[in-house]
Amino acid sequence: MNSKHILTIWKKELRDTVRDRRTLVSMILVPMLLMPVIMLGMFKFMSEQAAKQQTQIAKISIVGGDYAPQLAEAIKSREGVEIAEVDVQNYKQSVAEGRIDAAVVIPEDFQDRIAGEKAVNLELVSKSTNANAANAFAAVSFVVADFNAGLLEGRFTARDINADILSGVTIVPEDLATEQEVGGFVLAMLLPLLIVMWSIVGGQYTAIDVSAGEKERKTLEALLLTPVKRIDVVFGKFLAVSTVAIISVVTAIGSLYFSFSYAGDLGIPMEEGNGLSMGGAGGSGLGFSIEPQVALLLFIVSLFLVLMFSAVILSISIYAKSFKEAQSYIGPAYIVVILPVALVNSVPGFEPVFWMFALPAVNAVLLFKELFMGAYDWGHISLTLFSLIIYSIIAILIAAKTYSKESVLFGD
Amino acid sequence: METFLKVQNLVKEYKNGFRAVDDVSFEVGAGEIFGLLGPNGAGKTTIIRAISTILSFTNGKIEVLGKDNLRYAEEVRSNIGVLTTDIGAYERFTGKENLQYFGELYGLSSSDLDKRIKELTELLDMGGFIDKKAAKYSTGMKQRLAIARSVIHDPKVIIFDEPTSGLDVLSSQTVRDFMSHARESGRAVIFSTHQMYDAEKLCDRVIIIHKGKEIAYDSVENLKTQTGERDLEDVFLKLVKGEGV
Ligand SMILES: Nc1ncnc2c1ncn2[C@@H]1O[C@H](COP(=O)(O)OP(=O)(O)OP(=O)(O)O)[C@@H](O)[C@H]1O
Ligand SMILES: [Mg+2]
Repeated sequence: MNSKHILTIWKKELRDTVRDRRTLVSMILVPMLLMPVIMLGMFKFMSEQAAKQQTQIAKISIVGGDYAPQLAEAIKSREGVEIAEVDVQNYKQSVAEGRIDAAVVIPEDFQDRIAGEKAVNLELVSKSTNANAANAFAAVSFVVADFNAGLLEGRFTARDINADILSGVTIVPEDLATEQEVGGFVLAMLLPLLIVMWSIVGGQYTAIDVSAGEKERKTLEALLLTPVKRIDVVFGKFLAVSTVAIISVVTAIGSLYFSFSYAGDLGIPMEEGNGLSMGGAGGSGLGFSIEPQVALLLFIVSLFLVLMFSAVILSISIYAKSFKEAQSYIGPAYIVVILPVALVNSVPGFEPVFWMFALPAVNAVLLFKELFMGAYDWGHISLTLFSLIIYSIIAILIAAKTYSKESVLFGD
Repeated sequence: METFLKVQNLVKEYKNGFRAVDDVSFEVGAGEIFGLLGPNGAGKTTIIRAISTILSFTNGKIEVLGKDNLRYAEEVRSNIGVLTTDIGAYERFTGKENLQYFGELYGLSSSDLDKRIKELTELLDMGGFIDKKAAKYSTGMKQRLAIARSVIHDPKVIIFDEPTSGLDVLSSQTVRDFMSHARESGRAVIFSTHQMYDAEKLCDRVIIIHKGKEIAYDSVENLKTQTGERDLEDVFLKLVKGEGV
């Protein structure tokens, strides 16, 4: 290896890439502008969904309300409940068709059984596939529990027993999720995927330009005629692609972080109480920050991802004779990588097994998620780094080998 | 005359089994222009790529300045300058920047490189466009830039593959003058072409290849005498049709 040759090629390819407006757009402009817009848009969408979920009104019908006017009144006045009138004969159909979320059926002998201190069955008809059924169920349960408490209190008092013995166990809810965890939750869902995407897409244009592009422009043979060793040619080009890709990844993450930090000032609603709130100071921006050691790990893992993908894309694109051909090879390869990554990323509550941290790209996504949630598993960290280093080396060796194939370089 | 290039029993079979070069031998010495002649598909470019170490060969031996080109590939490459038939340039770079890049790769110091670029700019009449982006070059400009690039390191052995194809008479003249100039300064020049007019004007000795095989190898004068033809073009036609002296 001749570091002077490698450096010369690296510098030339970077200079060449920077002079190309198309590369600049895909390397800097798109990650810088588009990413925050997409992310903030998604964030806004998710916040609104969560808010909607909470203020959702449950539409309930009461069948036989006259048999228990007191209970019916309690349900009616419960917050988040809207009483809908339905045809008594067809209430089940109304539930099935989603016109109402639930129907409460009060039996005819309600008052008699209460008076006789017998158990009463209240039928609640709902459809579990209706997202709002749970809200209806919770509302009715709450009212019934309240009703029961009043009822029993009366009965105990009638028998001269202190009603306090009724209070057994009470649940006092407390959410222990810190702001970091809530913030991490959102980041953990989207950022890993984006980092993997940019570590491929960021360097793609340059990779094609320095290999297939060089064939297309008919300069490759002249380059191979210089006394520079093939391995040095590959290495210089590989470093240039990696440099562009890492700049792209850092730009994407940086601009994302920046825009999230100032999201509040941009009038994007992130106030508390919607389940996704970041609880930012004074409602402006998000109140979490990435710890330096997480940022460092993030960078190191991204770097190795970038090295691996750069070598892979370089190998693929040297097979192509033209820019277009190279793009048509990389497209499918890209999907092969992104699919499993998107899968593990989107399955809720996915519990990774140790060996999964040896799968290229998948391991990075899994590790990023853990890091964002504040979990450091050194076993996972070392396996991810170790395997990515191994894959990078293999990918570089393959790229070097590809560059010494006559049929690839001169095949017509 | 010192031998700069020695090709012995060269055989090249491509992967598909096609034998593009079949037992070709020749030598080229300092201070001569040697014609590598043959019709389309004869195997000229294949031979040149084998000499310049960028293509492996099936059999034979090649020496440049006494060095085996398989064992000393890098050294051989730094001693030869090859003008390929592909004359592309880095289009986002100026002509000068193109030359600077290759000069660095050939290991020239920046002062030597500056001097060499000036010299070649004058020799190849590139003053008018050397500082313009190569994307805007005409064929003739590109060809002259490609020539400058191929000899940026002032090599002892110069190989030009079809250097005048697609050029007008003026540009062709510049290229021919360049080859003569190289001969005068003691270089070994290999001139591959199927344009017999240029070859006859310039070449001291020639080899004629047909379908990968050598069909003639001698001085232009001797070939004319042997075949009884008036010019090299007739010699060429006679030999290629008859396949051998
Ligand atoms: N990569 C390859 N695989 C298989 N056959 C090839 C390959 N490259 C060239 N050939 C064949 O080898 C023969 C010699 O080709 P070459 O390019 O050396 O000829 P040439 O003398 O330079 O022709 P021209 O004057 O047209 O440039 C041709 O028949 C060509 O089709
Ligand atoms: Mg040729």
